[in-house]
Amino acid sequence: MKKQLKFKVNGQPYELFVKPKTLLVEVLRDLVGLTGTKRGCNSSSCGACTVMLNGASVKSCSVLALQANGAEVVTVEGLAKGNQLSPLQKSFLDHGSYQCGFCTPGMLMSSTALLAENPKPTKLEIKEGIDGNICRCTGYNSIVRAITAVVKGEYKEAK
Amino acid sequence: MSEFSVIGKRVHNIDGTEKVTGSGKYTFDVVLPNMLYGKVLRSPHPHAKILKIDTRRAKRLVGVKAVVTGKDTLGRKQGIWRRFPELCDEEILCREKVRYIGDAVAAVAAIDEDTAEEALDLIEVEYEPLPAVFDPMEAIKEDAPQIHEGVELNININRHIEWGDVDEAFEKCDHIREDKFKCSSQAHVCMETHDAVASFGHNGKLEVWTSSQSSYYIQRLYADMLDMNESDIRVHNRHTGGGFGSKFELDSAQFPAAILSQKLCQPVKIVLTREEEFTATKRRTPMYYFTKLGAKKDGTMLAKEVRVITEGGAYTAMGATALYLTGFFSSFPYKYPNYRYDGYRVYTNTAVTSAMRGFGAPQSTFVGESQIDMMAEDLGIDPVEIRRKNGMTPNYEVPGQAFIQSCGLHQCLDKIEEHINKQGKLPPNHGIGVSAYGFMSGGIFNWFNTPYAFSAAVVRINIDGKVDVYTGTCDMGQGSNTTLAMICAEELGVRLEDVRMFSGDTGICPPDLGAWGSRQTLMGGNAVKRAAAECKQQLIEFAAAKMGVNIVYDLDIKDRWVHLVDRPERGVSYFDIVKEAIRGKDGVAIMGRGHYTPHRKGMISPAYSFGVQAAEVAVDPETGRYKLVNVTTAHESGTVINPLGIEGQLEGAIMMAGGYGFCEDQPMDEGKILNPSIADYKLIRSLDMPETDILEIDTYEPEGPFGAKEAGEGLTNPTAGAIGNAVYKAVGVRIYDLPITPEKVLKALKEKEKQAKKAKK
Amino acid sequence: MINDFEHFAPKTLKEALALLAKYGDDCKVICGGQSLLILMRQGLVSPKYIVDIKGIAELSYIKDGKDGVKIGATTTHRAIEKSPVIKKKYPVLAEMENRLASIQTRNWGTIGGNVCHGDPAGDPVPVLIALNAILTVAGAKGTRNIPVENFSLDYFEVDLKDGELLTEITIPAPPPRTGTAYTKFNVIESDLATASVAASVTLGPGDGVCQDVRIALGAAAPTAVRAKKAEQVLKGKKITDALLKQAGEVAATEAEPISDIYASEEYRLELVRVLVPRMTKEALARAKKA
Repeated sequence: MKKQLKFKVNGQPYELFVKPKTLLVEVLRDLVGLTGTKRGCNSSSCGACTVMLNGASVKSCSVLALQANGAEVVTVEGLAKGNQLSPLQKSFLDHGSYQCGFCTPGMLMSSTALLAENPKPTKLEIKEGIDGNICRCTGYNSIVRAITAVVKGEYKEAK
Repeated sequence: MSEFSVIGKRVHNIDGTEKVTGSGKYTFDVVLPNMLYGKVLRSPHPHAKILKIDTRRAKRLVGVKAVVTGKDTLGRKQGIWRRFPELCDEEILCREKVRYIGDAVAAVAAIDEDTAEEALDLIEVEYEPLPAVFDPMEAIKEDAPQIHEGVELNININRHIEWGDVDEAFEKCDHIREDKFKCSSQAHVCMETHDAVASFGHNGKLEVWTSSQSSYYIQRLYADMLDMNESDIRVHNRHTGGGFGSKFELDSAQFPAAILSQKLCQPVKIVLTREEEFTATKRRTPMYYFTKLGAKKDGTMLAKEVRVITEGGAYTAMGATALYLTGFFSSFPYKYPNYRYDGYRVYTNTAVTSAMRGFGAPQSTFVGESQIDMMAEDLGIDPVEIRRKNGMTPNYEVPGQAFIQSCGLHQCLDKIEEHINKQGKLPPNHGIGVSAYGFMSGGIFNWFNTPYAFSAAVVRINIDGKVDVYTGTCDMGQGSNTTLAMICAEELGVRLEDVRMFSGDTGICPPDLGAWGSRQTLMGGNAVKRAAAECKQQLIEFAAAKMGVNIVYDLDIKDRWVHLVDRPERGVSYFDIVKEAIRGKDGVAIMGRGHYTPHRKGMISPAYSFGVQAAEVAVDPETGRYKLVNVTTAHESGTVINPLGIEGQLEGAIMMAGGYGFCEDQPMDEGKILNPSIADYKLIRSLDMPETDILEIDTYEPEGPFGAKEAGEGLTNPTAGAIGNAVYKAVGVRIYDLPITPEKVLKALKEKEKQAKKAKK
Repeated sequence: MINDFEHFAPKTLKEALALLAKYGDDCKVICGGQSLLILMRQGLVSPKYIVDIKGIAELSYIKDGKDGVKIGATTTHRAIEKSPVIKKKYPVLAEMENRLASIQTRNWGTIGGNVCHGDPAGDPVPVLIALNAILTVAGAKGTRNIPVENFSLDYFEVDLKDGELLTEITIPAPPPRTGTAYTKFNVIESDLATASVAASVTLGPGDGVCQDVRIALGAAAPTAVRAKKAEQVLKGKKITDALLKQAGEVAATEAEPISDIYASEEYRLELVRVLVPRMTKEALARAKKA
């Protein structure tokens, strides 16, 4: 029997009816239609499904959709402000911090959550910040450089 | 001051904004109207006859639209080695026999994934299990179960490479080493698993969206299996979430999806689970290596003899190529006057071993670089010095095999030696290991038996001066779209932002063999460059007429400015010339065609890239655990087209190649892979990643577009060897089988301690 | 594929206990779900009813008092990792949480969920044993307190009867001159332990005799275990390297690790032999500074 799910995604309210077994990632991709968030495994290990839930990064494949009732979810689609990319997005572009791009939304969400919680992380804390996200293409160091550049203030937030 | 306007600049990948905003669509995201979801039923047995498949209960499940088995196919077998039909041995949907745990036997299409999965449980398959064999050393014995009919001793294929006279040469050596190694398997672990949406129309034509490295190969293999014209099949190329060698063969998401769709005339989407990805897609070829190396006491190597037995798994796939290349690259990057290689690929009842980034060279480099370090120690010679003494040089001919034009190996050795010296004395239990490699820049082999040029491109200039490039290449994240766009922009004299790429869509792009064997920069690049040159020539002709300059002057285009080479201030805007040229050609857009197939470049590659890597490890001798501290690579890949791209390829390669040495493994029990999940298959994450430094060496490859060669695959070769050598330098133990785990290191340390105690007595 | 279930989201402990009493062993409790959802996705666990206690605010807290600290069962790992109180008074707990899985897992997963999952390789339990923690479990018939070292019964089996819910973890204030340390051995930094050791040393007044010591082993037996015989080697003595080595040898005799694809039994025993002295020595150093 379906239950009501009322929550916000990227600031937009949604009211849906979902089977209790539905995972947050399924609601986001299949019902809300935001396919930026990906899935890469079945063991809660890869981090490709990372979103922000009430400001904290979580793996959306490991959260029941109903647990997001009343919550605010931010996905990769919610990072840009209108046609202005976020500082992290711009920095990722400049540093080549993506290749196939499949892990990129998750990486951006983990990085965004990291800096939201701690705007001046150390290099170790930056690495910890993305340690839950597997990338098979970049070798991580370019992602660390991109985040570091934002920490150093090289990119400004759009107004 | 660079002579180039576009090439060599640090630019955003042209599909970058899509990737950082999540708006790029992958096959994983494709949803079509009326689409069904498919799942594949797989064999639980490593070797068995299929006696009966009863699909009735599955078909009756509400929501199930079709169930297919091998009987619903034409019963054909396929494979990449199309020139040798006996090597095309894979049906995908098995009819009579299954040969590994995971072999596909049936597929279901249903209204949703859950229903499809439920239906799988309702398909009743009666098997007659057969004796199975898992180790190639066992499978090659007389009494081993025969996996493919008529294939004696399960020997799928053998390869022989020879020059000089090794037996005679060994007689002349001052020192000979014989060593055995075991190279493990490795999983690609693309972040996007294999997937396909196949859509048959009522007009009998097939449209496919799939995560692929070669749309053309997939198109051709579909045509073979379905008995269709290639041209009635269109393969689309959305973004691809990784390939690494796993996605240019027809797979068990693509083929069943098409068979199901053919029955229903509805799109069918199959996405392999991560578990299927680990167990039922192809993987790196495990190899048993027996290698004999002979040298003079001054370190000159005279002879090398290599024997390899590879674990083939259940089918041929690309394993035959890995077998050949591992033998060829066992001679790299050194000048051996005498060399002999014999390799055997042996069928086993395990998951198929095929192509993975490096294609047999990570294995041969681990073995070769370990052994040369051991030889250096035996002879009392510095490890960099012995490599210098024997290293390949420009314009070297590998006797009877290949011609190496550009080669920056020695400069790489110098740079690495400088780097090592700069580190000074290392803390206790730290060590730096060196590893050198050379790799092909575009495999020449045409076992696929294509009648087409290996690469082709069409360039079209529109009235607004914007340029469209059509080419069959596939960007799987390695950035080929950007690299090719840069080559086009440089050749034509426009800016990168003026170029738009259409790649990998068989409906509109000329065929290209795809992204494997490190070929797209060199081969695709040459095709694009030639097509752009043809366009440029047309514009120059109009400009010459318009400007009415003295016949002795040459014209060129740079940065949207058509000008006299000798008087660059005299010129006209590219945009104006385009408009006039189109008008002058009766309103037809400017178009150019280019293609490239390497002729008379040997049978392996038109060019080779080289590099030397130094890895530093810090070992905890009480537990055997070690940290990857730093990996510094000096490499040369000709002219660097896309510096940001190359850095990314290098660092990414270290993660994958480092993983091969450090932690990645696929332990099996009776043919069953024991760790088919990302939780259990260990991968390097950001906290485990070493610091990486790149030392770029300048070289120029005449065969490549603007002098460019490959970068991304060669760099996957050296790291396992560098790690092995580093561990030896740190704590004095050598591990001969990959991966180099803490348990193996500790065991070796304890053994060494025991031997030392014995020696004291 | 997850089989569907009926989902209840009680807002109070009382409501939750009533639901558990009603549905008995047809239901499972979910909180962070970081362990349970993996099992459910793989079809290994298919409850008909799920009691979702994520929303029970009264179970999520870190309360500091002079007798010790009380942590609500649904407190997230991340909250513990970041808590100023924990960092100051029980730094080993914050350190352990910092190495547990990933930030994403820690943001949603809870310490109670982890302890009740009963994985012998889990990080928190050995540390809680070293810290002498007590677990409070509530049921229809009232509450009971269980020393954490008695809570795990076997692989993935804990002392929770039908209808019971873990509500609180109490960590007593450490005696003066106590230090605790924890490490886990793995190849990938954030991975589950191949073997782990938590040790707590309390020094007597004056000349550095070990008054009390607690040593817990993880991933070395069907449950996390206290290496009591190893403790006896050190208790009441002045700790020396030789004694530490001996304690390691003895601890290895109290372990019964398995061989699996990550490590052989022998290697795990070797790790115990090495890590017990290391962590005890670290705990001793912290005790001296305390």
